[in-house]
Amino acid sequence: MIRLENLEIGYNTKNQKICVFKNIHLNLKSGSLVGLIGDNGIGKSTLLKTLTGSLKAISGEVIINSKSIIDIPIPDLSKILSIVTTEKISGFNLTVWDVVASGRIPYLNLFGKLTSPDETLVLASLDELNLLSLKNKLMDELSDGQRQKVMIAKSLAQQTPIIILDEPTAFLDYTSKHHLFSILKSLCIEQNKLIIVSSHDVDLMKHYTTQTITMMANNEIKVVHN
Amino acid sequence: MMCDLFFGSINLFTVPTSDPLFATILYDIRLPKTITSIMAGSGLALSGLLMQSLFRNPLAGPYVLGISSGSSLFVAIATMLVSSAQFSPIYMVGKSIISLFSVIGALFVTFTILLISRKNKSNVILLLIGLMFGQILGALQGFIEYISNPNDLKTFVIWGMGQVGNTTRDDLWLMIPICVTTVAASFFFVKSLNAILLNEQYAQNLGINIQRLKMAIIIITAILVGIITAFCGPIAFIGMSTPIATRLLFKTSHHLHQMTFCILMGACVMVTADLICQLLSSSIMLPINTITTLIGSPIVLYLLFKSKINMI
Repeated sequence: MIRLENLEIGYNTKNQKICVFKNIHLNLKSGSLVGLIGDNGIGKSTLLKTLTGSLKAISGEVIINSKSIIDIPIPDLSKILSIVTTEKISGFNLTVWDVVASGRIPYLNLFGKLTSPDETLVLASLDELNLLSLKNKLMDELSDGQRQKVMIAKSLAQQTPIIILDEPTAFLDYTSKHHLFSILKSLCIEQNKLIIVSSHDVDLMKHYTTQTITMMANNEIKVVHN
Repeated sequence: MMCDLFFGSINLFTVPTSDPLFATILYDIRLPKTITSIMAGSGLALSGLLMQSLFRNPLAGPYVLGISSGSSLFVAIATMLVSSAQFSPIYMVGKSIISLFSVIGALFVTFTILLISRKNKSNVILLLIGLMFGQILGALQGFIEYISNPNDLKTFVIWGMGQVGNTTRDDLWLMIPICVTTVAASFFFVKSLNAILLNEQYAQNLGINIQRLKMAIIIITAILVGIITAFCGPIAFIGMSTPIATRLLFKTSHHLHQMTFCILMGACVMVTADLICQLLSSSIMLPINTITTLIGSPIVLYLLFKSKINMI
């Protein structure tokens, strides 16, 4: 589903290219829960940004469903791949319903009007993560764990075969972390999605993921199938 | 709106319709003023909402970010250039040039602020930069006023206080089409604005072309603020406060609803402010900025204190 070929990731500045990690060769298939592990600053977030297309690779290719990511138009990519970041979404009257419904934006007309099937899908996504009782709550009123679940529900409503989560357990307590990973695992199995998660919780990753990718110093990558 | 047309220093209900004074006051003075109030109120409120959504900052607005100051400076320059043409047969050419300069001034400030916001994403810094911009441009405008002749100086000072009463029926032929077209164009970005409320990364992941959206919002805001400032002067309060009041009152984040409510509320606030100006003063017109700030700020403060949680 996602193939990385001789990928070199980093940042292009005006005068130079700053390489963060290189020689990445990976093949990730649907129905997998992939854990990404590595020390701070090793390049996990840079790799995830490159996978989502928000950062251009210095060299090499990210191939999704046999097509290079740079050849996939942004509107089409939004129907293939969704993201969950650690940034707190709040303010502006945003309710749980609004945020989850925003997952349908790629499928809506210019005026952003939800159709009846869209609303059914949003409700189903909320139900999947046990958020129905919170649907009218403001995002500001939620705990960190609930907020993460809302963003995952948004990804579900987006109906993409690939979901990428950058450190979703960063602000969660022990119980919430386990709950979140069990949800991700069941999504992989039941909906045959490819889910890629970066985290520092090594034990948790080994317990739940189908494979862990460890980014190490000297541009080495270790892949372990759990 | 009817009150704004009929009540004032002269109550039109007491003037017979056959009296030429009736037609003069209604069609030449009050109707252009009321229509200008509607255009200015709705346009500035919408501009404020677009800025707040784009920067995801509830304190953003054309006045706070210095966009109105950019327009003002360029209007001052243009007025000096065409001051002799204002009373000549090419009056409308002069007005068009002033409007164009005003839009260029607004574009200049908005672009610069957007460039700075790419380097520094802090909301506080952004507002401070806007404030500083306003001060610098205000100082430059002050310099232009200082070296201008007494007639131009008087025009600048009165215009700078905010007036909706200087617009003629001919001016409306320039103002209405531009305002209506720009406001209508902004509705094509409802979906994109809904997405950008999450954040830029999410919006891009939802299929939105961020650069195109930013460019479109900048152009729409600059045209609206520019054209309104050219005719009415820099008007405070409406741009920042109306979207806040709209969010607090109607509790919606969907831009189709927010934009509609903002346009209606902005127009209502401005027409009411104009009516109060008319009723309070018999021989002179009060600056509209005084009224918009005096009636608007306490309402927003009340709504802010009343709301239990950060909803803006």
